[in-house]
Amino acid sequence: MTAMELYAILPLLVLTAGIVLLMLQVAFFRSHNAAMMTTVTVLVTAILACLVVTGELRDTVSSLPATTMLLIDQQALFICVLLLLAAMAVAVLGHSYLRARQVVPSATDHPEAFYILLLLCLLGACTLVCASHFAIFFLALELISLALYPLLAFPLTGRAFQNDERGLAMESAIKYLLLSAIASALGLFGIALVYGATGALEFSAVAAAMSGQNVSAGLMQSGLALVLAAMAFKLSLVPFHLWTPDVYQGAPTPVTALIATVSKAAAVAILLRLMSVSGWSEASIIGSLLTLMAIASIVGGNLLALLQRDIKRLLAYSSIAHIGYLTVAFLINEQTLGGEAALYFLVAYVVTTLGAFAVISLVADNALSNGSTDPGEALAPFHIDYYTGLFWRSPLLGTCLAAMLLSLAGIPLTIGFIGKFYIFAAGVEGELWLVLGAVIVGSALGLFYYLRLLLTLFQRAPMPSVAGSSVLAIPVTGQLLLVLLSLTLLTLGVFPQPLINWLHALYT
Amino acid sequence: MLALLIALMATGGCFAPLVEKARPGGGRWLTLAILLAACALLLGEVAAFSPTRGTQPLDSLAAPDWWQQVSLPWIPRFGIRFSLALDGLSFALLLLTLAMGLFALLATWSQVKYRCGFFYANYLWVLAGIVGVFTAVDLFLFFFFWEVMLIPMLLLIAIWGYEARTAAAIKFFIFTQASSLLMLVAIIALVFIHYRATGEVTFAYEALLSSQRSPEAAYWLMLGFFVAFAVKLPSIPFHTWLPDAHTQAPTAGSILLAAILLKTGAYGLIRFVLPLFPEASQTFAPVAMALGAISVVYGAVLAFAQSDMKRLVAYSSVSHMGFVLLGIYAFNVVAFQGALVQLFAHGLSTAALFALVGRLQHQLHTRDMGHMGGLWSTLPRLSAFVLFFAVASLGLPGLGNFVAEFLVLLGAFGRSAPLAVFAALGMIGAAIYALVMVQRSLFGPPSAQVSSTPDAGALPQGLTDLSVREWLALLALALTLVFIGLRPQPLMDSVAPAIEKALAGEQAVTSKPVARSVPTTQEMTINTGGRP
Repeated sequence: MTAMELYAILPLLVLTAGIVLLMLQVAFFRSHNAAMMTTVTVLVTAILACLVVTGELRDTVSSLPATTMLLIDQQALFICVLLLLAAMAVAVLGHSYLRARQVVPSATDHPEAFYILLLLCLLGACTLVCASHFAIFFLALELISLALYPLLAFPLTGRAFQNDERGLAMESAIKYLLLSAIASALGLFGIALVYGATGALEFSAVAAAMSGQNVSAGLMQSGLALVLAAMAFKLSLVPFHLWTPDVYQGAPTPVTALIATVSKAAAVAILLRLMSVSGWSEASIIGSLLTLMAIASIVGGNLLALLQRDIKRLLAYSSIAHIGYLTVAFLINEQTLGGEAALYFLVAYVVTTLGAFAVISLVADNALSNGSTDPGEALAPFHIDYYTGLFWRSPLLGTCLAAMLLSLAGIPLTIGFIGKFYIFAAGVEGELWLVLGAVIVGSALGLFYYLRLLLTLFQRAPMPSVAGSSVLAIPVTGQLLLVLLSLTLLTLGVFPQPLINWLHALYT
Repeated sequence: MLALLIALMATGGCFAPLVEKARPGGGRWLTLAILLAACALLLGEVAAFSPTRGTQPLDSLAAPDWWQQVSLPWIPRFGIRFSLALDGLSFALLLLTLAMGLFALLATWSQVKYRCGFFYANYLWVLAGIVGVFTAVDLFLFFFFWEVMLIPMLLLIAIWGYEARTAAAIKFFIFTQASSLLMLVAIIALVFIHYRATGEVTFAYEALLSSQRSPEAAYWLMLGFFVAFAVKLPSIPFHTWLPDAHTQAPTAGSILLAAILLKTGAYGLIRFVLPLFPEASQTFAPVAMALGAISVVYGAVLAFAQSDMKRLVAYSSVSHMGFVLLGIYAFNVVAFQGALVQLFAHGLSTAALFALVGRLQHQLHTRDMGHMGGLWSTLPRLSAFVLFFAVASLGLPGLGNFVAEFLVLLGAFGRSAPLAVFAALGMIGAAIYALVMVQRSLFGPPSAQVSSTPDAGALPQGLTDLSVREWLALLALALTLVFIGLRPQPLMDSVAPAIEKALAGEQAVTSKPVARSVPTTQEMTINTGGRP
């Protein structure tokens, strides 16, 4: 490895060093706040590292290879920054989550572990984004999953959590573990088949071999289809979505936000890279599979979301539908518009999803710290009825959640609208009228449940029976996070040009 | 000026809750002040610009002669600009918007009790969105405002509406949003076709006007636009949201919906569908006219069947807007002018009826005409206005609605006699439902609700006749209707260039001579009378 190669993977090195540092810190000094501060510092440093490397890229070449395993380019760095920012939001939410449950450092409770696992998950995600070789691709996928299992089951790690929370977390973690293992096995088998067909594992070498003549088409196509299935599991595209609602519902809400944003964004990024670098867009099977999965996800996700009364399950199905919309951008031949559309939609999705889960998480934390210790009521804060009249109880939370919902529904003034506009533009460019029809039908269905929830927020009489519903006190960091996310949502919804310029520059 | 107008109302909306918090009742006055300021701005515009308008050559049909426009880059990546422009049509509709905004505010001055500040914020935001719709000349911006005006309207219905408000609000929103997504696809497709032809990505109205597209593509795109506007208009079979939304909305919301929001659909047809797709619109005209004629009769029949007074007025809207659709697609100047006059006449008469019904509901707590009756003896002033606007709505000669419907039928007759005859049945239906409404609510023996006190001399509990403020507001509408009925010419003149523009394509298709200036109503009536 040359110095240049080490320099190129600076963000990954920073993250790795940060993890070690945090572990050492916890060994000598147990403090929840200090762990949180260190995490945020590491994340900020990693973002700075990304920016430094970006500057280097602009001066010299468009992409920096670090051995054959990793390839750092503008797109990868952009996604890394997005992931790191999302992780900061998750860290803030996690802090509030753990504080509300009085998880203090002790012999039985380990709040610091949350941050270590968070950073590990991030390391996996950032590595995945930069992968240019099927070996590292698989390693990174596994690293994300391995960090997520304990995070999903985090309530099992200490005494501070209530029983029903532990039960749900257990269910969610087991489900994710089993299905994720199956998906990994499928992916691994697919990689083996691709290797069998082409004799290469490097993305660019696979692409070169694919365009050559002496490749067994059947082997190649089945290999690609299996790898795609593994990705579809991460993205929870129909029919690989079965885990999503249960895992979303049972997991601690900050972890739900992490799965919904970081793990999916990383998968989108690597899929984008596979499409362009690895020549997947030429393989016919990928196109038809993606089309099918997009339509199934849009229609299925939205239809099932109609039935949900639990807000986390509702958002789970809505996220299935959203990834379905995003897939439309993969289906077109023109890489520039497709990539731009996918990334803009992704940014919109990440901001909005984080915002929505942030509100949910903070509301639930608040309900808990208000002392509704009645067993069986742990789910109540996630029930739609709990949100009745939220706008009048807490204008800030109400406004933010309303903005997030409007953005999810794709209404102008919000970033979600520009994202959807991009998807429509991509669909029209590719003349995918059937898929566009599904997007329109899906959006109309989606409106129904988003609006039902939105109007619940504005309902006149707040339910008096809800414990502690009169006052909603949320931590300052949480408020700051919400305001920042909402402002981003509005600013990029009204003045999208700066971000568009940035994304456009990635492809020209 | 235009941007300032929108900004004034939008920021005013943001301040309304704050003012209301600082001083209860302040939000209402702030709204009044802002609307008056906006009116002043708009009228200042006409004083400044109408003299120069006459000097511009009217025959440059390709280049629309805007009175004024602003254009700023917004999203250069897609050639999207923040472009607003004003012409006679926009001006007239803006005037209607602001006037109706003021009217609804005055007519429901003290009816809003719950969360006043937020109510007036939404109220101003709706109006700001509508002003944007009427002035945007960038298709993306148009779509933007088209959607933006819906959200506050949704909240107005959902928060301050009546018993089934949530369902009605969601239905209203899904209908309009789903159809407008079709329009969005059509807009983007239009831009891509233009891009492939010229290599330029732009959403500007004028650039897209001149671009060429294959007849088949044009037809599909036209349908995308048409559905969005037909939902808003509303026309059969997309009308089902309207009765619910109107019935459940608070009075001020009903007035805004009927008087202005429905007009955005007609405006879209006139501004976008006809000029952008002249040939396709020609091909589609028989279908659209048939839809219009069916709407007229169907709306009238259903209105007759209602016992809920507000629902009755809502269905009468379907009927009246059917005339607009019929007139627009008849493709001649007479019918077109009729359709435009109808926009204003319907706006005024229906707004007044909703205000009156809303007031009755506010005090009687019922909209059921079975529980009314004998109102004339207890509330003579209110009843007189109900009678006046009901007969205006049925098309009494001398009032605006008559002029409009007569012109539409006259023009449509030249195009398709059977449809015009069929639609004329709607006027009979209008007479029936309007008179039935008057009969059941105003006359007959007083019902229990109306005469709840044994003392015959005093008014029942909580029931009051019109106050001076309401009386003046309604009188202003009534006088305007009479004025339009007796002298529609100024209104027609102000919208004449828009008519020429909208019909220019059609005339190019059929290669008829272009009408340079619009003759007076009288002359035109004679002209068409001579036509086979």
